Amino acid sequence: MITVQEHDFDAGQLIAELYNTHAGQTGAVLSFIGYVRDYDTSSETQSLVLEHYPGMCEREIQEICEHAASRWDIQAYRVVHRVGSLNRNEQIVFVGVSSAHRGEAFKAGEYIIDALKTRAPFWKREVLSDGQQFWVQQREEDAEKTASWSDPQQGKA
Amino acid sequence: MSSHIHVLYFAQVAEIAGTRREEWAIDAPVQVSTWLDDVVRKHPGIEPLKQRLKVAINQYYVNHNATINPGDEVALFEPVTGG
Repeated sequence: MITVQEHDFDAGQLIAELYNTHAGQTGAVLSFIGYVRDYDTSSETQSLVLEHYPGMCEREIQEICEHAASRWDIQAYRVVHRVGSLNRNEQIVFVGVSSAHRGEAFKAGEYIIDALKTRAPFWKREVLSDGQQFWVQQREEDAEKTASWSDPQQGKA
Repeated sequence: MSSHIHVLYFAQVAEIAGTRREEWAIDAPVQVSTWLDDVVRKHPGIEPLKQRLKVAINQYYVNHNATINPGDEVALFEPVTGG
């Protein structure tokens, strides 16, 4: 299931729900949480404003997860991504995957967050504590990392 | 058949254009790259971003050779930065 929402999420509850989907058959639940952090060591972040393209955003994430489910042997997935104004230290995104075995869960989870970062239409506006504001630019290494998943050697089970 | 397209701008592009939504009259199918030239003529501030802009037609990514048809929803934005 894919959710884009303004309010915070309870990661513990999301993990429990993922486990319960196939309780007994699930041997591994992998979860990733992204947080609002300082922009860099010299610039303290006060908040992030996240904008998105409703509809396209959910569909892109759904496609990414379906691709992961067809490539790796996973049982269930869950993505929650927040939008709106988020303060320093707040949770931004949850990606969770369940599987019989850890290897498949690690790879599928890593692929989902990598692809989400370069495909799902979200944009971050950084508000620093010194008052500076700017739109965050996509990092080249993020695009390269997503592209690397197309390499059939990468992430092979 | 509608002779308009529904244009959506997001994030920095919306800020520069000064709007998030425009209805554009088009009388025939047009290539994305040709339409982008028109966007830059209308909103010259977008020019410096033009090479890296992403385009989605009806909520699917397309390249700059794709064709925009009347009635389409066309979105213009910078490379995404979620996660």
